[in-house]
Amino acid sequence: MKQRSWPWVALTIAVAAIYVFIVGPILITTAVSFNATNRSYFPPQGFSLRWWADVFQPQWVQPLLFSLELATLTCVLATAFGLPLAFALHRYDFPGKALIRALVMGPLILPTLVTGIALLQFLTIVGLGSWIGYGALLVGHVVICLPFSVRTVAISLHTIPPNVEAAAGSLGARPWSVLRHITLPLLIPGIFAGMAFAFIHSFTDVNLSLFIARPGERPITVTILSFLEYGFAPTLAALSIISLLIPLALVAILGRFIGIGNFLFEEQGRG
Amino acid sequence: MAEPALQLRALTKRFGATTAVDEIDLAVAQGEFVTLLGPSGCGKTTTLNLIAGFLTPDGGEIHLAGKSVGSRPPFERDLGIVFQDYALFPHMTVAENVGFGLKMRGLDSKEIERRVGEALAMVHLPGLGARRPLQMSGGQRQRVALARALVIRPAMLLLDEPLSNLDLKLREEMRIEISNLQRRLGIATVFVTHDQGEALTMSDRIAVMRNGRIEQIGAPADIYERPATRFVAGFIGAINMQPAVVSSASSDGYARLETPAGPALARLPTGFGAGVKTTLTVRPERLRLGAAAPENAVAWPATVEHVVYLGARREVRLRLADGSAAIAEVTNDGSGGRAAGEKVTAWFKPDDAWVIPENASD
Repeated sequence: MKQRSWPWVALTIAVAAIYVFIVGPILITTAVSFNATNRSYFPPQGFSLRWWADVFQPQWVQPLLFSLELATLTCVLATAFGLPLAFALHRYDFPGKALIRALVMGPLILPTLVTGIALLQFLTIVGLGSWIGYGALLVGHVVICLPFSVRTVAISLHTIPPNVEAAAGSLGARPWSVLRHITLPLLIPGIFAGMAFAFIHSFTDVNLSLFIARPGERPITVTILSFLEYGFAPTLAALSIISLLIPLALVAILGRFIGIGNFLFEEQGRG
Repeated sequence: MAEPALQLRALTKRFGATTAVDEIDLAVAQGEFVTLLGPSGCGKTTTLNLIAGFLTPDGGEIHLAGKSVGSRPPFERDLGIVFQDYALFPHMTVAENVGFGLKMRGLDSKEIERRVGEALAMVHLPGLGARRPLQMSGGQRQRVALARALVIRPAMLLLDEPLSNLDLKLREEMRIEISNLQRRLGIATVFVTHDQGEALTMSDRIAVMRNGRIEQIGAPADIYERPATRFVAGFIGAINMQPAVVSSASSDGYARLETPAGPALARLPTGFGAGVKTTLTVRPERLRLGAAAPENAVAWPATVEHVVYLGARREVRLRLADGSAAIAEVTNDGSGGRAAGEKVTAWFKPDDAWVIPENASD
């Protein structure tokens, strides 16, 4: 490349910044997790897998599994609600549409911290205090993840080529068959991208969970946060890497088999 | 006589305050190719969507093979439709696209495979069933769409501007191919286009539409040579028009007319007496140029303003005595061109002119 114009320089700087501030910390954290000492030195002093062994103690495995379960349930439920909502908002006009759109999309703008406090207060006031814990966590996570499902499905609906559904109808397909053979297959990338977003958003949420989680039923993020009060042990470095790998693996798998990569990074290619 | 394949009676569709289709009557015979031609917004596509069942009419009736289908959904109408953008299913192979209608009809996979193979051979795409539509060129996609519409052996074929996304050469090829296929299968067809060339070359009859109404319906030669209105005359091809007042109608079917460019003689439908305001029209290829006109011809003095070279033809832009513009199209036969500023005589035979019974002010 012989280009030395200013956009080229700007791009180079941007890419360098991404490496320094995103990949750099991850590499350092990875290195720290292999420390032989019980302080988080960088460069690591000695080499040991004891912190990685530590991570597989029930103290950490339990919240990790809890987070996985919560995120999985959340992304399934968010999609189950998001799919018909996206259809309704994209395809039909009805009274109160603007209000429903605002309610569904609201959590995207609202700080999750606020949503968390609000949900906590609401449940206490209406006498559902006993819900606080798993039930409330699930409800809260579905609420904050719903905008992702609705958005991605709506974008997918938007990219369905005009007339393909009409064409299917003219070829003798009843509305249900059109949905099954044409519409839903064309929405698959959007649906799965929405699920991935919802899963990651739920899996990485601290703000909401902080208020609603009950001791003994804590997601990994809240557990890490409370452990931080005692200092940054190399265990946390190992845990961070695991917490990073889970969503990355999910996106990689979906990208490989369903092509959500296109969906995440650019306008969806048709086909 | 057999039932017409399609009959529209007073078909009407409104969108808010605008009437997109305004009490249209139309009958398409079995095996007939009828084109709905008009500018955008004339109601031709709305009419097609009503026939297809994608829209519900606000009034009137649609009969397919004698049965009223006005309120039936598209999947019960048994029509083959080819869309402007082809509307192929991007997630299916070509064979799955073509076989979709058969699958919906519950045919077994062996039969589907056989008929898909036949259909692809018919549109000259044999063996390409495993491809994806996105791997194909525009012309190939067009053929797939055609195969998909025809493989179900529909009662009727509807074509919605199917050629407008193709480049010129391919478009002319596909015109001939669609026409041949349609004649061979003998399938009644409604074709929607804004392209007069397509309409003239492909149709048995053309319905020229304007503001939701059919302005004129007839064979291509009728529409081109005997336009009923100034709009039809102007929409199809170039034409010279002169406001004309009948000065004397003779009994032999000809009339003397007064026009700003000079007196004229032309055929005139009966029933027009002296003083009636009309429009005299002459197609550019029927307006000839010379130093002097032959006997019995209508001759007007003119000045050459500009010559447009078209290869096989030349388009000569003229200024007539009254200051109005006219166009003559002459064959590039080697006899030499005209130069700007040259004084010529523009002439036509009375049989080459056509009088439209309406005036510019109408």
